[in-house]
Amino acid sequence: MRSVARILAVWLTPAVVLAVPAALAARGPDGLWLGLVVTLAPLIVLGWGTGRPATGGDSRPGETLFPVVTLLVTVGVLLWANIALAGDVAAWLGARRWQGIVITAAAGWLLTAWRPLRRTAPLLLAIAFLAAVVVLLQLAWALALGPIAAWDRVATQPAFRFPPSSPWVISGRDLGAARGGERLVFDEVHRLTAPAGGVLRARTLDGGRLAEIEWTLVPGQTVTLRAGDEIMRGSTLRLRFEADKRVPGAPASGMVWADGRPRHWLERVGLAVTLLAGAAALLRAGVTVRLSGDGTGFAAGGLLLAFVWAQAWAVYAIIQAPDLFLGGITLERLLELPAHALFAEPWRRTLQALLLAAGLAAFLASSLALRERLGALDSTGGGEIGHDPGLWAGLFGGAALASLWPVDPWALSLLALGGAGCALGPAALWPPRHGRTAATAGVVGLIAFAVLAAAQLRGSGGGLLGVAIAYPALIAAPVGAFVLWLGRRVRP
Amino acid sequence: MRPVTTRTSGVLLLALLLAGFLLLGALPNQVAAIRVAGLSLLWWYGGVLAPVMAMLVAIRWLADPLPAASPGE
Repeated sequence: MRSVARILAVWLTPAVVLAVPAALAARGPDGLWLGLVVTLAPLIVLGWGTGRPATGGDSRPGETLFPVVTLLVTVGVLLWANIALAGDVAAWLGARRWQGIVITAAAGWLLTAWRPLRRTAPLLLAIAFLAAVVVLLQLAWALALGPIAAWDRVATQPAFRFPPSSPWVISGRDLGAARGGERLVFDEVHRLTAPAGGVLRARTLDGGRLAEIEWTLVPGQTVTLRAGDEIMRGSTLRLRFEADKRVPGAPASGMVWADGRPRHWLERVGLAVTLLAGAAALLRAGVTVRLSGDGTGFAAGGLLLAFVWAQAWAVYAIIQAPDLFLGGITLERLLELPAHALFAEPWRRTLQALLLAAGLAAFLASSLALRERLGALDSTGGGEIGHDPGLWAGLFGGAALASLWPVDPWALSLLALGGAGCALGPAALWPPRHGRTAATAGVVGLIAFAVLAAAQLRGSGGGLLGVAIAYPALIAAPVGAFVLWLGRRVRP
Repeated sequence: MRPVTTRTSGVLLLALLLAGFLLLGALPNQVAAIRVAGLSLLWWYGGVLAPVMAMLVAIRWLADPLPAASPGE
């Protein structure tokens, strides 16, 4: 793999790129760690070792099949995560979920199937970068705030309050759309209006006594909740909030956001191991990576630019739309222009379209790059896997169907990267002479990952075991590496 | 044993940049929260210094010609 644009497009899928500002906005310093690891992991992996492919010359067909199948599944899950994100964006912006899914999946499949368009990944990536940067610069210019001054303004906020221009205040929004998983607990008295009526369930605190109440509201009826009261999940009616009241679920202040207590260091290491192993599998497994001096500079520059954009976007989004915190921050909310009252029409609509175009272009670039990545594994050298329209129709179709049910795109991406990393990462970084050694280590690593990932369904708990279950690659990748080491000693 | 190449040094430096963030965050008395020129130390390091250093390290150390694979590998 020689093209810098393709390396960037394989790694920086929209779900990964948007996960950084989402984490930055939600958990300041932890988001910073995520962004730093996303930026540095590909550089570490690309700089590691000799760039020689994992499998040796004496590999049997069954042994070369393992990386192909693993990467095929990984690419399928990554496509699923990003197409699901497109569905989320469509639903958040008021369209039908299936419309976002169909447009994205169809465009992705057409681009991979139509030969003349297959080499457009660098162009698409450039369009995505340019469009995203233009919208960001326009936002910064309209606010008349540089990024450091903007960060300072967020970090010194006494509280995050609903701006009068927020859609949650003006017309209200469906509460079901706020699906970030955070509790909707109120910090002060707050009057809620149901413009279309509906059933609202809340857990109220009356003195020291908890009570669950269900109100059936007629259109326009209001309900007043007090500090400590909580709207229960499952309420899906449209609600209007009061302006200048604290956003439920937001950090207590800007200082808490900027300098809040970080997660346990082991969790941070777990995230780093997952992304490093995932980067090794995606960027190195089975392919020779040789980048020129300029190429390395461009790759590092592109990653840096993406991280700077993510930081600035998170900070400007919090300044302009603190309602982002309501119910927890999800990726699709970051593809909505956060300036509700900053731009007049049609300028606002144009910037929103530009932002969506950036997201779509990034997805298409990633789709093309992932197809080429998979094609590069073809042992015949013809890249047949990357040119099979039936296979790719199946991949896009399956991912589109699965996306009809909402999933967390970032969790899915992390699962794909972790699984691929445990199966292929160790052998990609320490290529053994025999393909069988790599395949054995990969299978063991993958089984360890699957067992720990399955344990997530029972809850992760605390301590080392809890972190290992939350980030299965923390244990599974070293297990795979150990088996690889054993194999290299037994079959030198 | 594989020789230590400039690429190895680059990879080590990148890993150290990551470790520096963990170390800074673990310092006692919220040292990382001290504000300097509008940003806290942690944000200066994790958001500005470390990524820029990483780019420079990549250009300086990772861009060298690849060493030939030794026969024992």
